[in-house]
Amino acid sequence: MSSLKVIITGSNKLATFGLRRMLNEVFDVDAHIVDAGDLDALVTTVEPDLFFIDTASFIARLSFFLPRKAKTVLLAHGSHDTIDHGIRLLNTHAHSESQLVNALNVILEQHVQASSTGTTLTAREIDVLRLIASGKINKEIAQELNISVNTVLSHRKNITAKLGIKSVSGLSFYAMMNGIV
Amino acid sequence: MALITPDTKLSEIILHDPSTITVLDRFGISLGVGDLDVAQACLQHNINVNFFTAILNTFIHEDYFPQDVLAQFSASEIVDYLSKTNSYYQHNVLPNIDRHFSFLIAKAPSRNNNLIIMKQFFDEVKSELLQRINNDSNCLFPTVASHSTTCTQHCCDAVTNHDYTDTIEDKINDLINMLVVHLRGDYDHNLGFAVVFAVFSLKKDIKQNNRIRNRILRPISNATAAHLGEYEQ
Repeated sequence: MSSLKVIITGSNKLATFGLRRMLNEVFDVDAHIVDAGDLDALVTTVEPDLFFIDTASFIARLSFFLPRKAKTVLLAHGSHDTIDHGIRLLNTHAHSESQLVNALNVILEQHVQASSTGTTLTAREIDVLRLIASGKINKEIAQELNISVNTVLSHRKNITAKLGIKSVSGLSFYAMMNGIV
Repeated sequence: MALITPDTKLSEIILHDPSTITVLDRFGISLGVGDLDVAQACLQHNINVNFFTAILNTFIHEDYFPQDVLAQFSASEIVDYLSKTNSYYQHNVLPNIDRHFSFLIAKAPSRNNNLIIMKQFFDEVKSELLQRINNDSNCLFPTVASHSTTCTQHCCDAVTNHDYTDTIEDKINDLINMLVVHLRGDYDHNLGFAVVFAVFSLKKDIKQNNRIRNRILRPISNATAAHLGEYEQ
């Protein structure tokens, strides 16, 4: 899993350092600790594969994490694998180290499996898909993204070709499934 | 399989393509067909043998569409067949997929949001299909079957100008792609297969019967509407 880029954000520095060490050493993942305020600047240069984030930072940066909820893992106390909107949960109150390693393994494996489908959309295609899912027509999407209607049509064609999904409803449900809306 | 003729055995048809069981059922023929051939079965069940073979061949062979032959049958015969087809969707196929989907979600080892969202998509497709069936029962079929002059122009326009059919087909294709390509998380594999098979079966049935609906029934409906226009003038 060495190709995975993981960002850890949280106020409990001891917990973040511990998680980074575990990810680096046990899973050979490229994990970094980043302050919540530095996330916007970070994603302009690289889009990480996963974000491990504590509850306080998640709430403080909702507008950042909700569009990335498919990539978000919440560090919290809880027995469920996921919470609302499909956001995954890593139970920080695990009873043992092996329990924590197993839970991390499941999350990372699921991510690798999901990424290996060859259906990766570009950032612009994701923008277009988000607007399609919000009910916008081609002209409105073009205006919002400051591109031509022909370019929107071209993006739509590529999205359909990559996903195999044609209808607006289908695309909207796909966007919901993948945390794009 | 070669084209079905009056000499073809019913068992041969079913063994070649088991999904024809559901088509035979719309003509009142159920399993346990014995050694009957098409002609004998039609005689027993008082079915027009030419209509029966045309429908079965249209269902089995994607490239076969005897438009001229089908156009010769009475509108009421076609409407009767499509009504039974709608009834099959409404009372068998849709509840079946619904049941499989609900089991699939309930039996997932952990909460699987992908399945829940796909079920919501299916619910939308189901609702649209039921709306079309309702429209068929209340307007299109009675109008076409009787060449009625009582159906208002507004009613006929509502049927002919809204292409629900393509939309439903597109959405069913999308649902299949979502299940086949994009399904994630834990789920009971057997129940997952059951959902996929059931949706595939619906897709095939709708696709084949939409050819009859769009290329035979709609022209009759349009002709009726045009006739109504002349009549009113």
